[in-house]
Amino acid sequence: MLQTPESRGLPVPQAEGEKDGGHDGETRARTASQERPKEELGAGREEGAAEPALTRKGARALAAKALARRRACRRMNRTVAELVQFLLVKDKKKSPITRSEMVKYVIGDLKALFPDIIARAAEHLRYVFGFELKQFDRKHHTYILINKLKPLEEEEEEEDLGGDGPRLGLLMMILGLIYMRGNRAREAQVWEMLHRLGMQPSKYHFLFGYPKRLIMEDFVQQRYLSYRRVPHTSPPEYEFSWGPRSNLEISKMKVLGFVAKLHKKEPQHWPVQYREALADEADRARAKARAEASMRARASARAGIHLW
Amino acid sequence: MQGSTRRMGVMTDVHRRFLQLLMTHGVLEEWDVKRLQRHCYKVHDRNATVDKLEDFINNINSVLESLYIEIKRGVTEDDGRPIYALVNLATTSISKMATDFAENELDLFRKALELIIDSETGFASSTNILNLVDQLKGKKMRKKEAEQVLQKFVQNKWLIEKEGEFTLHGRAILEMEQYIRETYPDAVKICNICHSLLIQGQSCETCGIRMHLPCVAKYFQSNAEPRCPHCNDYWPHEIPEVFDPEKQREAGISKSNKKSLRSRQH
Repeated sequence: MLQTPESRGLPVPQAEGEKDGGHDGETRARTASQERPKEELGAGREEGAAEPALTRKGARALAAKALARRRACRRMNRTVAELVQFLLVKDKKKSPITRSEMVKYVIGDLKALFPDIIARAAEHLRYVFGFELKQFDRKHHTYILINKLKPLEEEEEEEDLGGDGPRLGLLMMILGLIYMRGNRAREAQVWEMLHRLGMQPSKYHFLFGYPKRLIMEDFVQQRYLSYRRVPHTSPPEYEFSWGPRSNLEISKMKVLGFVAKLHKKEPQHWPVQYREALADEADRARAKARAEASMRARASARAGIHLW
Repeated sequence: MQGSTRRMGVMTDVHRRFLQLLMTHGVLEEWDVKRLQRHCYKVHDRNATVDKLEDFINNINSVLESLYIEIKRGVTEDDGRPIYALVNLATTSISKMATDFAENELDLFRKALELIIDSETGFASSTNILNLVDQLKGKKMRKKEAEQVLQKFVQNKWLIEKEGEFTLHGRAILEMEQYIRETYPDAVKICNICHSLLIQGQSCETCGIRMHLPCVAKYFQSNAEPRCPHCNDYWPHEIPEVFDPEKQREAGISKSNKKSLRSRQH
């Protein structure tokens, strides 16, 4: 999907050192050069008529032109900035961006300057964020962002989720506890397990911050865990179960495998949980097959249209 | 925008990866940001000394300036934890949300935002928000659907939910403060100490001035007789502790503060 011939639309990036001055200079130079021919034609007559020394009217006209140029420059900079943000946000959703979308939502009536704007946006994306803006479909003017930063080693990758590595481990432990206890675990049991791991609910931990906040707020609000009051308990007791997001993102078999590794045993060591995990795998496989089949059907329908 | 004489910072892969990851998360707490920074150094420049976080961020911000964005530092309103987010400097409304949500969903957020700003406590009840579902622009939304959308806002860290009530997440305040102040200039509440937007806080019962909980904590730190900075009347509320990442604190202190605040509301 990413193998395209080098797009001709993007200019050679500028040297790093002169980035700031270079850009402003470039813009000013460009707009100036765009305007100069017109000026020479239009104003030539005026200048010829008036004396070489500027009259008040001439001075005002020049000042007005300079102001207009500055405004155009600012507007251009703003549009480039908006395009950069637009591209970043769109890319986050992993959808390719079309030229017409860019024109519709960002560029508007500066459409004629599109090549210039997109070139500058591409340079910002490269220098500031480390993304390359690649034209992925020349005919339909579709673009994607490619990450130019070096790919990570596996252990680095866990860290790269920016704190999600250790947090994910903690979440796995809790999900494991819940699963092994028949899909429900009392709050007290969870804290007991964490206590054994050397964590206290309200003591700041260098990896997790405040565990209580992480679990009760982040994990519950992010829907990884569900937190419910156990009925008919007095004083009220609460229990945790898997939240809907956990069901989507993690499988029972994976969690069972994690628990098994912790105990240095095989998943089959727990027959009840193992059977449950197998059933879960079968469900997921069926759901996946259904989804793939419908995607293939859609793709072949689209291909059929293209043949015409 | 005229040629700035200030030297612009330099971006290396360390900074780029940091930016990419910060963008992925939307908002991060300070301790997480420091870990992230160390991770980026480890990956791209193992032998370099890690810059002080403030300098590191200022360096990146000087480069981001021409893009009208910056890494902004704020504190959570309930207990003063420092947080960081990449925010838009131009007031283009709730633009960052605009691509993730449909028109009627954005309007629901706007309605919730208005209720939150107008409220005395900074919280809007789920019931009150859902009652406005008929007034939404765009495709018609049922209450059940609206409940899900509210949860989506929570998951994406635009709103916080506490006991069936909603308030703005620190991220939303960081991102939208300017927009909020410009759009609701009469309804908006301001902290008497830091002069920033105030959603949750304590207020003086005599003269009505308001302060953020972390601002109260700092202002009245080790003051045996806290008095209103404006009218000098005795400050009637419980003074929270100043946030200290090293110290052991009850993570639920925000809840107890909220209760004492709300019990005084009419």
